[in-house]
Amino acid sequence: MFKTLKKYRIPYLFISPFFVLFLVFQLIPIIWTTFISFTEWKGLGSPVWVGLDNYRLMTQDYMVADAFWNTLLYWIAGIIGILLFALMIALCLNSSRLKFHKFFKTASFLPYVCASVAMGLIFGMLFDENAGLINEIIITFGGDRVPWLTSSAFSKIPVIILFNWRITPWFTIIILSGLLNISREYYEAATVDGANIVQQFFYITVPLLRNIMFFCMLTITVDTWKMFNESYILPGPGSSNTSLFQLIYQSAFKTFKLGYASALSVILILILLVISIVQFAIRRRQGEV
Amino acid sequence: MKKVLFVALMVVLLAMPMFAQGAGETKTTGSDTYPDGTILVWSTGQPQFREMYYDAWIERHRDIAPGVNVDSETISTMAAGQQKLSMYALSGDYDSMPEVIMLDTVGIVELSSAGLLQDVTDYYTPLADQFVDGAASDATVNGRVYGLPDAVRPQLLFYNAAIFEKYGVDPAMMDTFEGYYEAGKLLKERSNGKVYLSYIDPANYTWRYYGRRGLMPQANAKIWDDQGNIVIGSDPGTKLALGYLDKLNQAGLLYKTRMFQQPLYEATDDGTIATFYIGAFWDEFLRKNLTATVGDWRAMNAPVFEEIGTRGAPVSTSFCLVDTKSNEYTELFKMLWYDFQTDTEARNAWVTDMEKLNGPYSNPVSKKILADPFWQAPSDFYGGQSFRKAEGDGLANSSKNMMVTASDAEADSIISAEIEKYVAGEQTMDQAIANMDKELKLKIKKAKLP
Amino acid sequence: MKRMKFSGVSFILHTFMILVIIVCLFPVLWMCVISIKTVGERVSGFAALTVLHPTLSNFGRLFELIPIWSNLYNSLFTTILGTLTTLFFCALAGFAFAKYRFPGRNALFYFVIATMMISAEAGAIPLFIIMRRLHLINSLWSLIIPRIATAVGIFYLRQYILDVPDEMIEASRIDGCSDFGIFWRIVVPIIKPALASWASITAIVRWNDFFWPLLFLNKNDKYTLMVSVSMLPVSDGLATPWSVILAGTTMVIIPSILFYLGMQLFQRSGSLAGAVKG
Repeated sequence: MFKTLKKYRIPYLFISPFFVLFLVFQLIPIIWTTFISFTEWKGLGSPVWVGLDNYRLMTQDYMVADAFWNTLLYWIAGIIGILLFALMIALCLNSSRLKFHKFFKTASFLPYVCASVAMGLIFGMLFDENAGLINEIIITFGGDRVPWLTSSAFSKIPVIILFNWRITPWFTIIILSGLLNISREYYEAATVDGANIVQQFFYITVPLLRNIMFFCMLTITVDTWKMFNESYILPGPGSSNTSLFQLIYQSAFKTFKLGYASALSVILILILLVISIVQFAIRRRQGEV
Repeated sequence: MKKVLFVALMVVLLAMPMFAQGAGETKTTGSDTYPDGTILVWSTGQPQFREMYYDAWIERHRDIAPGVNVDSETISTMAAGQQKLSMYALSGDYDSMPEVIMLDTVGIVELSSAGLLQDVTDYYTPLADQFVDGAASDATVNGRVYGLPDAVRPQLLFYNAAIFEKYGVDPAMMDTFEGYYEAGKLLKERSNGKVYLSYIDPANYTWRYYGRRGLMPQANAKIWDDQGNIVIGSDPGTKLALGYLDKLNQAGLLYKTRMFQQPLYEATDDGTIATFYIGAFWDEFLRKNLTATVGDWRAMNAPVFEEIGTRGAPVSTSFCLVDTKSNEYTELFKMLWYDFQTDTEARNAWVTDMEKLNGPYSNPVSKKILADPFWQAPSDFYGGQSFRKAEGDGLANSSKNMMVTASDAEADSIISAEIEKYVAGEQTMDQAIANMDKELKLKIKKAKLP
Repeated sequence: MKRMKFSGVSFILHTFMILVIIVCLFPVLWMCVISIKTVGERVSGFAALTVLHPTLSNFGRLFELIPIWSNLYNSLFTTILGTLTTLFFCALAGFAFAKYRFPGRNALFYFVIATMMISAEAGAIPLFIIMRRLHLINSLWSLIIPRIATAVGIFYLRQYILDVPDEMIEASRIDGCSDFGIFWRIVVPIIKPALASWASITAIVRWNDFFWPLLFLNKNDKYTLMVSVSMLPVSDGLATPWSVILAGTTMVIIPSILFYLGMQLFQRSGSLAGAVKG
């Protein structure tokens, strides 16, 4: 054992920073969180063991239910919205018919560069019920004012729009890089065989993009389940658009219920774990087909 | 060449924090003067204006504090400041704590029970006679004083006299809440729906101001009984207070917009909003943000519920000395506080400046200064009415504030969530009250009495 | 006939892309317009779009409200140092995974990939306590150290280092180059384009970072620009005018846009394309 370490000390040394940091700043905190989740603790003094109380309270707390459903919605809306738009934009950018290619590509990436917090402040103003430009436009077209951030029904929409608006370009680039890797010869051969654009898309592009799409889905999953900035900066009434992670932050650092917040964190970790296992399982099955 | 530049950049980046630290180090001077450094004050509103007074005072006292300066940082609300201070305590960072924090009762109860505030009973009690009655009662927890009173401000009703004149509504009818409601209906009718009586915030300010500070104490409402049991669901006062808010809202008298934000002031300048209830603090915000309606505003006492009969509950704010372990400036700040509260000449001069700069100020708590004719002088913004006199008059016949426990900070977030859903139109006020009761019982069970 | 159809497709294509660009750029342009309006000019509805008296005074006001210079310094410090350290350690680990054979290599690499599915945020509470024990609360290092080596970075740079020919590495080893020497003198120069594009992404992410600074930094002059800007709405005694808030957001957004455009000019070819290899 020691000998192996000594013999291969250089590669081990090179990769060690990651593992040390992972241990100290991720693994230990997560184990510790699990411990705190069985206690009641205000941060000062020592934690009091309360067993499963925090988990029991969680099942009765409508704010947790709200946060869970909201985050689930953000996840689904993220997967569908982001992948759809990213794919469409990437296909356009990849098209040989598109002029000013470089301009479009550069400009459509800009949202990703903009800080979500700053954009959140801006979207908050644009979506303001009385003074916002969006409602003004809706009224010009004969509609009624929409209570974007002042009703539970609508308050999730600005959050979804902001999140998707900002993140889509990132996935556009990733998908585009996948498209660029598909050899043109496939399409040329298909054209010779008389396949139209739609057929080409479904029989060539989609199968060859599967890996990339899977990677995108995994990333969007993690990003949406730990969403914080967007819903934090665009609050709706009560917990109507609170994300799960935002609720954790608020329970921990606003009302200082660290035990309860930790229990929520444990649930968040479990959710991510389950989703990724399911995604990998589905993929393995597809891989075998 | 590139490498040299790169290395130089890194060296500069790495060295800068060291310099920054080196510059901040305190050097000790003679034993009868205060060590060089900064008194950090956390305060709500626009503390930069108060700082002007402090700076002038420090200049006058260079003999005892040659290298001390006072620095103010804004906290958005006292609750936010209280959370931030708890964060510091949680992180064990006593060095970064402010020397002084401005708090209301909720914060004082919470932070004093966490042991973060200095007990100033022995200092304040001998001085208490110089100040208006009960100035420090909100800063008193179990008989110990934890804050030096800064202001005791009444709940006033601000109204745009020009609107009332235009539509022929007599402002005097707003002496009772029933009349306030009637006035709102008249204004709405006669302006074809353009004029709203007041505003309602879709977020947490509605509970904070209409609820905890305004209607609830005026209706003698209770969240807890004296033992800390949750009674909000069955309390007649809560029903009266929140039911009245519901009545205004149902009649479409409240313009829904965020408090303190620019659209509110734009609507007010347009003549859309006729009155502002709750809080003498509106004075500074109206003066600072309104341009088109200067001179139209008047202030009167808060309306009363006829069945209860008392005016608004005063809001006392106090400067609390934080227990930072070193506490080296405690005595100096006490002197500064005492001077601000009792030096008539300096205080009047500062208030005159504030009026010119549209800065905030409040009536003093010292009986001596209040007796000065300066505090009866007319104000231009109020068309010649004396705001300072109105503020003093507003304290008469006041309601008692709600009992505050160490669980109130958490209770606020639970109650506010229900009110927000009510304002969004997703539940009736009765459902909101029932849900508050249910959620409080689920999550807090019983309030921790201080 | 056929030609008509083709120009139809191309018309739809261009219209769609122009719409996309409008949606992408409009909020940013709207922000810039409002940020140069005088305080007191209307900001609601369509009135927001006309500027009668352009002014830079909102930016001046910003300097009075928040300690911009120290915030800017904090942001630059964490962004630059964070990016450089991440680049170095990720490339080093990527190099080891790509070019060395050692027991457990594949298992460890899959482990690295798997950690991408765990969010460090879930351990925020103990992390706060750990940082406190390390005396890193209110220190900019608390933002840099935990992310010195990230899974995504290692994954991405490893892909590129795989393409470095083994012969070159062997040749320099025979020439007596040390392991680190090979990394520094052979590998790093070859993967420069990958490093550059990864650096620009990392820098943007670090600059835009919000949650961790919000958690670990608690003092006005220790905040990064992002945290200060997020608090602008309540900075001016709860009544910061929209134009001043938007001057603040302009201060954080425009630099990152300029930086990105600069990087685009710099890297003539595909830049980020190929960021993830199929």
